[in-house]
Amino acid sequence: MKNFIKNILFFIAPIIILSYPLDLVISNVLKSKAQLCVGEYEVWNDILESKIDAEIAIYGSSRAWVHFNPVIFEKELHQKTYNFGIDGHHFHLQYLRHKEYFKYNTHPKIIIFSVDIFTLAKKKDLYNLNQFLPYMLWNDDFYEYTCSYNGFNSSDYYVPLKRYFGNINLSDICASTTTNRCNGFKGIDKKWNTDLKKAKASKPSYRIILDSTSILLFKQFINEMKKEDVRLIFVYTPEYIEGQAFVKNRNDIISVFDEISKKYNIPFFNYSCSDISYNKSLFYNTQHLNKKGADIFTVRFINDFKKYKSKTTTNIMPLADSAKNAVIK
Amino acid sequence: MLFNSTDFAIFLPIVFLLYWFVANKNLKVQNLLIVVASYVFYGWWDWRFLSLILFSTLVDYSVGRELEKQENPTKRKLLLWTSIIVNLGFLGFFKYYNFFLENFVNTFSFFGYPISPQGLNVVLPVGISFYTFQTLSYSIDTYKRKLKPTKDFIAFMAFVSFFPQLVAGPIERATHFLPQFHKKRTFKYDKAVDGLRQILWGLFKKIVIADNAAQIANEIFNNSSNYSGSTLLLGALFFTFQIYGDFSGYSDIAIGTSRLFGFDLMQNFNFPYFSRDIAEFWRRWHISLSTWFRDYLYIPLGGSRGGIWMKVRNTFIIFIVIGFWHGANWTFIVWGVLNAAYFLPLLLLKKNRVNTNTVAENNNLPSIKEFFQISVTFALTILAWVFFRAENLAHAFSYLSTIFSNSLFTIPLFREMRHALATILLILIFIFIEWIGRNEQFAIAKLGFTWKKPLRYAMYYSMILAIFLFMGKQQQFIYFQF
Repeated sequence: MKNFIKNILFFIAPIIILSYPLDLVISNVLKSKAQLCVGEYEVWNDILESKIDAEIAIYGSSRAWVHFNPVIFEKELHQKTYNFGIDGHHFHLQYLRHKEYFKYNTHPKIIIFSVDIFTLAKKKDLYNLNQFLPYMLWNDDFYEYTCSYNGFNSSDYYVPLKRYFGNINLSDICASTTTNRCNGFKGIDKKWNTDLKKAKASKPSYRIILDSTSILLFKQFINEMKKEDVRLIFVYTPEYIEGQAFVKNRNDIISVFDEISKKYNIPFFNYSCSDISYNKSLFYNTQHLNKKGADIFTVRFINDFKKYKSKTTTNIMPLADSAKNAVIK
Repeated sequence: MLFNSTDFAIFLPIVFLLYWFVANKNLKVQNLLIVVASYVFYGWWDWRFLSLILFSTLVDYSVGRELEKQENPTKRKLLLWTSIIVNLGFLGFFKYYNFFLENFVNTFSFFGYPISPQGLNVVLPVGISFYTFQTLSYSIDTYKRKLKPTKDFIAFMAFVSFFPQLVAGPIERATHFLPQFHKKRTFKYDKAVDGLRQILWGLFKKIVIADNAAQIANEIFNNSSNYSGSTLLLGALFFTFQIYGDFSGYSDIAIGTSRLFGFDLMQNFNFPYFSRDIAEFWRRWHISLSTWFRDYLYIPLGGSRGGIWMKVRNTFIIFIVIGFWHGANWTFIVWGVLNAAYFLPLLLLKKNRVNTNTVAENNNLPSIKEFFQISVTFALTILAWVFFRAENLAHAFSYLSTIFSNSLFTIPLFREMRHALATILLILIFIFIEWIGRNEQFAIAKLGFTWKKPLRYAMYYSMILAIFLFMGKQQQFIYFQF
């Protein structure tokens, strides 16, 4: 029996010794798989490998990710732009991305923050958690901002390889390394795919509960940016008009952003009632513009932003002048 | 608790150490530890259904004790029927209630009498089909006086609930398994190492082969209308390896784990996909179930004795019952009927026991004839698995009609092509290892014995690495649902 236990321990020892190098190998292989986790690895890689020297940074959720095309920004404004939109996550994890970005890269001059009705809410489950796998080992920031969700155990952050157990498989290893995003952005080339009638029937309107810690963190972020002398701009990007009725306290939430923008003197561009929001052909669901819609919106926003820059007479712009009348091609 | 979970990876060493270091001096204590561990193992999934196991244990233990005392044939028969009704009653309720209700309603509606009775949301307790049959074997063998009923309730509890094989078999016979709980177990190094190798191979089959094949098979079966006949054929092939890797992998882990505790379980799979005819396939596939039905149903019905009609009747009965055992769905019944239809010609021509030796015995490769036989049997098996996997009969027939359409001759396309190709490569490696190990209890039982230690260890480490890397999203074992 003793012999058996001894041999088992001898057998396991190399696994333990090699666990860290193996962890590194797996992490590096995964990081290269641009097709996984809706392309979030590419953004994390750019951030953590200090590859970003953007003058304009775009923050937010998937509504930032698929709505602001940095290529158009660079063409129109001649300023390097990077889109940091993180799919399915609210401010708590958007802040993690911001923190890492500021830690490892040169800081931007302007942050365009895509706010929406979910920004200040908080989920229970760690959505798309595989995106954190290659970066989270012994990383205190990742631990601090992801540990409060249902997703990983504390040991996953400290024991090499453990977090990979059950979270990756052959299809991940075989996934394509082809680039998925362009400066963080990806235009989604899809047509409208939502049955609104069905959605309304299956899920009646609901209220979004704001998370007090996220609100505090949001205010902390605003103060930090003021200290850093980074110009902050809020944008409520287009949202398909028929979908807006789903959230009962939508106006209350938008008024929270109005108040914050007034209090902190942050311009707020609100496109939720612009003509784009009425054009179904520019969306693939109520919250997200398709590629064509994103390009049209980006151009629209840049024009409004240019006008704003030239005027800078008002801090709050509930609806940009051109938003209603612009011709949508 | 799943074998392929971190919970089990912690649970097993703890129970192992307690078993050999704390409870080793007293057989009763060892058996008690097995009972406690088994109840924890099962309760990890749903503790409420522990009461079912306990009740079934109490009934069969009491029936056994009474059968020993009772000499009156009528009363003995009554006791046996008590055990059968209780066990099959539970099984019937939990597994078949809604199926019978639904078919009852459909039949009435068909004849113009629509009825709307109350359906129940019945949750199927994991492993009920396995432990029910195990305890039934005890009652039947005791009734037939093949087995002396045990007086040791703890040993009997351990026999019923033994955690390695509680939820998905092998379905042990009381005559083989129960006496092992009465004998002192001594730790044997070779047996334990052999057990670990079998666990490793079982995990490899489950995680590397079955789970990867499952991802592709699920995608194809769930969206079969989007794919060509050639892709659907490969989808059925992936399912063929999924179910084999999944179930035989579970059996290997169960047998290997049992060996760590000094127990021997029966072999449940014996390289079935190398069978040269369907009769051989059924001697090699889910052996513990097919022999159970053979001994407790087929032979009592008259077996292959008697006239042609009796042979046909008995063959269809046993295969339909085997199909129905798998689940309350017509697809399983048709799967059983199809296998009966495959088997019957062999039985009637008295060729069902032609291939009883190992294929290509003493040769590296099969002969052309053997290769052809294996291929035909394998193709028939794939065809039958379509019914087994399909959601319903309409799905199965539409799946098969697409396979046998012109699109069979197109290039198969997969949603994740690279994953499909990598899985095919893994399956080919798997078939190769199985082929070279086909004379053994499990494929790697002797693999690498003559190699130098570093090379052998490299093989083990490679397998562990593969298991680790490919441990994917599909973690539940298929046979848990049965």
